[in-house]
Amino acid sequence: MSYMLNVGAHSEPNVEVHKFYSGTIIGTVLLALVFQAFLHKYGRWSELIDLPLLVTIYFGVSRRNPVSGLFLGGAIGILQDALSHDNPIGMYGIAKTIVGYLASSVGARIDTENPIGRFGLIFLFFHFHQAILAVTQRVLLNHSAPFFTLHLFIDSLVTAAFGVVLFALLDRLRRNS
Amino acid sequence: MIDTFSRHRPLALLATVVLAQVLLLAFQIKRENNVRLIRYWAVELMTPLERAGTWTFSHVGGIWSGYVGLRNTRADNERLRNDVNTLRLRNRELESESAEAHRLATLLNFKDAHTEAPMLAAQVIGASADPTSHTLFINRGERDHVRRNMGVITPDGVVGKIVEVFPSTAQVLLINDKDSGVGALFAASRTHGVVKGSGDPQPHMEYVINEEKLQSGDAIVTSGEDRIFPKDLLIGAVDATKPGNPFQVISVRPAARLDRLEDVIVLLSQQELLPKKTEEASETSNVTTAQSSAQPGTPATASKTSGVVTDPNKFKPAAAAPIQAAAPLNKTPASKPPVPQR
Repeated sequence: MSYMLNVGAHSEPNVEVHKFYSGTIIGTVLLALVFQAFLHKYGRWSELIDLPLLVTIYFGVSRRNPVSGLFLGGAIGILQDALSHDNPIGMYGIAKTIVGYLASSVGARIDTENPIGRFGLIFLFFHFHQAILAVTQRVLLNHSAPFFTLHLFIDSLVTAAFGVVLFALLDRLRRNS
Repeated sequence: MIDTFSRHRPLALLATVVLAQVLLLAFQIKRENNVRLIRYWAVELMTPLERAGTWTFSHVGGIWSGYVGLRNTRADNERLRNDVNTLRLRNRELESESAEAHRLATLLNFKDAHTEAPMLAAQVIGASADPTSHTLFINRGERDHVRRNMGVITPDGVVGKIVEVFPSTAQVLLINDKDSGVGALFAASRTHGVVKGSGDPQPHMEYVINEEKLQSGDAIVTSGEDRIFPKDLLIGAVDATKPGNPFQVISVRPAARLDRLEDVIVLLSQQELLPKKTEEASETSNVTTAQSSAQPGTPATASKTSGVVTDPNKFKPAAAAPIQAAAPLNKTPASKPPVPQR
């Protein structure tokens, strides 16, 4: 996976591409998935935060490579589906694949180092991710999944706020170029 | 193409990965009746294609069978038309043979029914070139022991007599020829007369007095006095009568179809034809019925009515038995005209 993610890392020569120590991406992804599953045991407040989504967005905008971004997002989504008990494999996979691809594309064009920009980016990607999930569930599962609710709005704000903090922590794992 | 793919490679990869996951989802998700979504999609995808394929094949097949496959149709049609013509011709031949076989069977049955009288079957091979002369030629002659003045009949009735004999053919003078004369009598009243030809299709019965009560359809049979025909052979029936001076003018409808003769019987002797006795013959004794059976041209109907001649073996040429049985025994002829001798 690391090799694949490093491929094409220099496809945008004019944009600063952040690199990470080996194993960082895989380790972070696994930790995010484990924490997401672990926190579920301790109350519904954990549902407010979507850690796998935050990781997908962060490494997408950091790596700024759409190919690696979509593969990373797809892998995270499928693992998230696999760890859930009732989701068919691919539900989160599709959403996070597209989010990973767009995050990488956006990261190559706008400044993603600013906390406010990060907040807004996470907020938008959260709702975009939710929209893809709703479409997928409506089309494939015949479920009436909502596109937007107040609960989702609060979730998005909490996730965005938490994401700003998390991104700052993850910035420390970058390798100095 | 390759450049375009390279330029949009990330987008293509995204589409591929998303599509792969959609298919993965479709494989897992089950709809109604526990059918997987991917199967639904596959059916939905393939059904229009199959429908289009079926439509295309049926139309292409229709074009093939309706146009391309018909390139030899003209030749086939021509060949089949020839076959039809050949078969029609063959059918006519078979029909003709069948009719001939039927006629010959009738003659044979007639001959078998009268084994006591020597007779000879003959075929009509020609007619007289003179339109006023009612004669015809048969394929039997001197070699077959045919002699002049032998009677010629058919199972229907009297035809005529032999007037000329050649080595292998003979000429027959029909009873409607103006030179012809046959000793005759009415089957019911036993009144004698002479059936003479007039040159018309119908001969006349002459020398019958005006007082003689006659009805149309009264049977006329041979009297045997001309020494040509045996007694009681059916000649025909009364067609019309009118008073004359001194005798009635009686038009006779011949029993034999003189205008369409093909097979005839030559009587080699004047021996009387006695029909074989059958139960049906013994049951029939009604003169009226016998007269009906003597109606020329309607032998089958008359036969069925009388119950006498249904089987050719039981043919009674002059309805002789019933008529004789019904005739008064002490009845004397009103007149005995001179019978022409040729």
